[in-house]
Amino acid sequence: MGFHIVVCAGIVPDPLQTLEPITGPQGPALKNEMMLPAVLDPWAKHALFEAAHLAAKTPDSKVWLVSMAPKTKLQQVMMSIAQKASFELVALDGPASGFTDSQAVAEALAAAINAISGLDRKRLLVFGGWESASRGAGATLQIVGERLGIVEQFQGVDELSVTASGSLRILERVEGGMHQISHCDGPPAVLGWATGSLPEPPNNPQVGMANMRTLMPALQKATAAGVAVDGKSFTSVEVPKQRRDTRIVKDASTDDIAREIMEWIKG
Amino acid sequence: MDTVLYLAHTQSDETLSKGALEALTAAKELTAQLGSANLVVAILGGDVQTAADSVADCGASKFLGVSGEAFAQSRYATDAAAIEALCRTAQPAIVLCGSSSRFNRVLPGVASRLGGCADLHATEVKADGGSTSITRWYYRQRIRAAQVRDKRPWFVALETGSDAPWITAGGKAAVESVPVALPESSLRTTVEGLQKPPGQTQTIRPDADLLYVAGAGWTKKQADGEAHIQDAESIILDFLGKTQASLGGSKSLVDISGTGQAVLSFMTHLNQIGQTGAIPRHPKGLSTCCHGEEPHAVGWRFIHERRAINLDANCGWAHGKADVLYVADAFEVMRKVNALLEKS
Amino acid sequence: MSQTTPSSDNGVERQCMEADVVCVGFGPAAGGFLTTLARGLTNEDGSLAVSSAVMEGMPPQVICFERAEGLSFGVSGVVTRARGIRETLPNLDPATIPMAAPVAEERVVYLLDPIGASRRPRTLRAIDRVLRAAKRAVGMQHDAVELPYIPPFLRKDGGLVLSIGQFNQWVGDNIMMSGAVQLWPGSPVAEAVIEENKVVGVRLVDQGTDKDGKPDAGFTPGMEVRANLTVIADGPVGPVGRQLDAHFGMPDGHHQRDWAVGMKIVVDLPESCPLEPGTVIHTLGYPELEIFGFMYVYPGRIASLGIFVPSWFDSPVRTAYRYLQHWMLHPYLWRHLNGGILRSWGAKTIQEAGKRGEPVLAGDGFARIGEGSGSTNVLTNSGVDEAWATGSILAESVLDLLKQDKPFTKESLEATYVSRRRASWVESEGRIAEHARDGFQKGFIRGILGTGLAGLTQGRLHLAGLPPRLNERVLSLQEHFQGKISEAEIGQIRKQCIAKGESLHDALMTRAGWPEIPYDGQLLVSHQDALLLGGKVQAPGGYADHVVFVYPHLCETCGVQLCAEICSGQAITPNPEGGVPLFDREKCVHCGACLWNCTQASEENKESGAIAFRAGAGGLHSSEN
Repeated sequence: MGFHIVVCAGIVPDPLQTLEPITGPQGPALKNEMMLPAVLDPWAKHALFEAAHLAAKTPDSKVWLVSMAPKTKLQQVMMSIAQKASFELVALDGPASGFTDSQAVAEALAAAINAISGLDRKRLLVFGGWESASRGAGATLQIVGERLGIVEQFQGVDELSVTASGSLRILERVEGGMHQISHCDGPPAVLGWATGSLPEPPNNPQVGMANMRTLMPALQKATAAGVAVDGKSFTSVEVPKQRRDTRIVKDASTDDIAREIMEWIKG
Repeated sequence: MDTVLYLAHTQSDETLSKGALEALTAAKELTAQLGSANLVVAILGGDVQTAADSVADCGASKFLGVSGEAFAQSRYATDAAAIEALCRTAQPAIVLCGSSSRFNRVLPGVASRLGGCADLHATEVKADGGSTSITRWYYRQRIRAAQVRDKRPWFVALETGSDAPWITAGGKAAVESVPVALPESSLRTTVEGLQKPPGQTQTIRPDADLLYVAGAGWTKKQADGEAHIQDAESIILDFLGKTQASLGGSKSLVDISGTGQAVLSFMTHLNQIGQTGAIPRHPKGLSTCCHGEEPHAVGWRFIHERRAINLDANCGWAHGKADVLYVADAFEVMRKVNALLEKS
Repeated sequence: MSQTTPSSDNGVERQCMEADVVCVGFGPAAGGFLTTLARGLTNEDGSLAVSSAVMEGMPPQVICFERAEGLSFGVSGVVTRARGIRETLPNLDPATIPMAAPVAEERVVYLLDPIGASRRPRTLRAIDRVLRAAKRAVGMQHDAVELPYIPPFLRKDGGLVLSIGQFNQWVGDNIMMSGAVQLWPGSPVAEAVIEENKVVGVRLVDQGTDKDGKPDAGFTPGMEVRANLTVIADGPVGPVGRQLDAHFGMPDGHHQRDWAVGMKIVVDLPESCPLEPGTVIHTLGYPELEIFGFMYVYPGRIASLGIFVPSWFDSPVRTAYRYLQHWMLHPYLWRHLNGGILRSWGAKTIQEAGKRGEPVLAGDGFARIGEGSGSTNVLTNSGVDEAWATGSILAESVLDLLKQDKPFTKESLEATYVSRRRASWVESEGRIAEHARDGFQKGFIRGILGTGLAGLTQGRLHLAGLPPRLNERVLSLQEHFQGKISEAEIGQIRKQCIAKGESLHDALMTRAGWPEIPYDGQLLVSHQDALLLGGKVQAPGGYADHVVFVYPHLCETCGVQLCAEICSGQAITPNPEGGVPLFDREKCVHCGACLWNCTQASEENKESGAIAFRAGAGGLHSSEN
């Protein structure tokens, strides 16, 4: 029996864009947020690739992608990501801001997962990134799990294999560059992925077009997800302005530089 | 009177980690700042007495413990049940602990279960006029925010390096054992053990004084038009061996492995710092061949003293971010540094 | 999209599928085409106006493949009268498009040389002296004179300033929302599939290859997408457009010998800057006479500004980045820019042959639209609106043919698209502009006069000056720097630069009197740092190099290597070991300047050079250019 894999993935600004906070009507926000090019959250993207990979090698499996963001941003990101993995989109029209609280996001996601028709809880694996590149809370997925009543939870996952008996063997990142190896009887389970080990799949227009059949209807019917402020307020939000006085050592001999570095390391 | 619950788990040798002791410093300070608050220590692990004794004189009004084989291991279901039981006993307003993979996995879920809230990756916690606030970073350490929350209990996991570890003479703690009801279903997961980093070389050392960052430049063509991967590997490994520095890599360097280009064989995604990698904390950082790569911008946020070796004097990614920029060929400089280290 | 059996070429099995219309490239032309087409595919009551020929009972299957990884990664800042755009979108409200504003004020400014490093003919130096002497009378301030009169053909009354990146994104979002068209970014089209002189679809690039294109880990052959109509909208340097040029030949007397690279930045202006949104400034005269500049002010104290370095600037160290910085530092501009912050940077090639560079517009199974179809107007300095209009004209024709159930043959497309285009304002204004810039072939002053003459007489008069072939026009370093740098010193500088793998222009310009750029780390940054701003220039792995030096022996004997000098991202650099330059795909912004800056002539076609500029992934990642 295959898996029913639900991947929770937000969208974030394309890496290396210049980010600047502003105060919006609902609290802190990013300047020009709607203009910044967006990508699927990097860790969640790994989770999606792992899900697609697992589903492809486990017959009778299916992948859903549950994502909350402003509808137009979601559409932009889907154009790229839909070419890389097969999934059915569950779209929530809501904020993608890192300043929205994880509890509120998690509740919206859990409600959306509960509403997926045909989802078999006994085969359910909830995937996501172990944290987002926006909120960076590392909390959303655990709360989704709690809301769904799943206490088999793993974070910083780099590897998942299914044993002959159907149990799950999971490698989680722990301190010191090591991995903890755990065995879980089977689904349901929640897995927050780190990078995993799969390369980014190539763009496949056929995959994209197959996804399109559910993508556009999902986007068109996406309803506004209510996201409560939930008792969190910010007293300051800033980009630290610290600028160091960089001493530039030019035209020094490599011997001198090496000596200076050596003294600095030892000092 | 509000209770500040200091939460810790034992390590495999039943002691508390450096990060846990740092959080104790913060917990004591927070309790003091809150004025009338009460500090309670809660520890979970296989056997918590040794750990509790090690902080017996911290001024806590009470020591709570959850012990037993099921809690010797890091596992969501059992950890969540244990922390839930500890919190139901202590009824804390704030739960403070040191960041660890074990707590990061479980705290948000428990907080939600208790109707509270959780913040991982906090870099500061303080109370001002009776109101507790924390500082943490958003958007991959680019934006710093101070925030307050209404919900209680409020779980805060402090990043390591945020405070000095609490130093203690220890003593004898009277640990009140808190019973935990574990339904059979909470043992669906078994922990097999730990797996060492891939490859033969240990290159990640969180406790090292120095973070050595290698950029994609090491794999690129050098002045003679050729790439010298093997040279790069031996120079870097030699340096790491001699200094016991921790190794970080830029995303570009780590990603190269996916493109079929020659790579540094000991570099994996676990070494990656910055964007989608780790944000390590070390007193010193030395970056090499990283021009145009991200470590300077983000991966260096928590490196105290920073130096860079780079061929471009105008590298805007080292300017203003490094303390010193050496304009030189890193291959040559690092070879000489290694020779000097050898002599010393 | 129906699937057909895999096709096979050279033993490579390719997936294959069918569509009704496939469009190559997404820019203003494809925007106009797809917006108009999507709207016409359904009736007002939502029922199908036409149906697919490849999937029964379905709406026509329309797919657009874009090379870049996002629809918004286009260049550049634009001022446009937006006639064509408004014809399609009559209720267009600039406030709904980020970074758009109505044109509020226009200035054309002659910049004098404040440092004395530019190459100016004696007559112009005399004029400059007169201007300086009569400073007050001519209104000269900040080493510049604002022209008192802007000829109507240059004016953009009632127009808009736009960021092409944001405009493309906005158009793309609307098209996608219609559900009638699929847009796939990150999907470079390698070539058109041509069978017996009929274009039957396209082939996407192979993925999972090494840099030479050989299968590597995860090899995925590019899919073949067969379509009844292939629309080529891949811009001035698009590989599919150029493939068709080579296959079908150019119409008699047509050639593409006029080009420019436009390099631009987006800047957060300092608080002190008084320029209002909608301000449009065009400059001429500095940093070199051949280099024109622009600055457009957007809402929110943001400006888009840059320069054009044209093919008729016959310098063997033709470059853009360094000149851009000298231009920014001109006192007339610097007073507005000083204290500003560089947000992003980009570059693109502009096909300045216009109507004279128009290729075969349509044939069996294909039609050409946009800049690559010769729509850019070099007299009015307008391209986006014209490109949009050609797309929209094609869409109306396609809808007619679909409704009449007629095939997309050369004959039917000529009777509809080509004839409509000939009757359009794009054509009539393109004809006026056709010879407008010829005067520049024989000098700056003659060029200005020729442009004015063509503009004011509706093209009836112009100054002659047929552009030579690109590879015939560039001077040697010795000729160019005669009287300024000795041959021996040039040789020495060349040796030093090549040993370091650097192009020559920086060292030579400094030696010729251009001051060093005072880097400040926020607005004046090194060339390589510019590549990192506003979304790092990058290239995904697993694709072949798209810049290929096809005739290594020609590179080995080329004394100039203009490809490395002009390269907008410093992706092409001299090889320290001599011979064929090196190419670093991760720095390439796909501007295509290397294509028309080769001083060698291809062995097959004397009009083109020794560099192949193929389809490739990656490039700019800034959405506000």
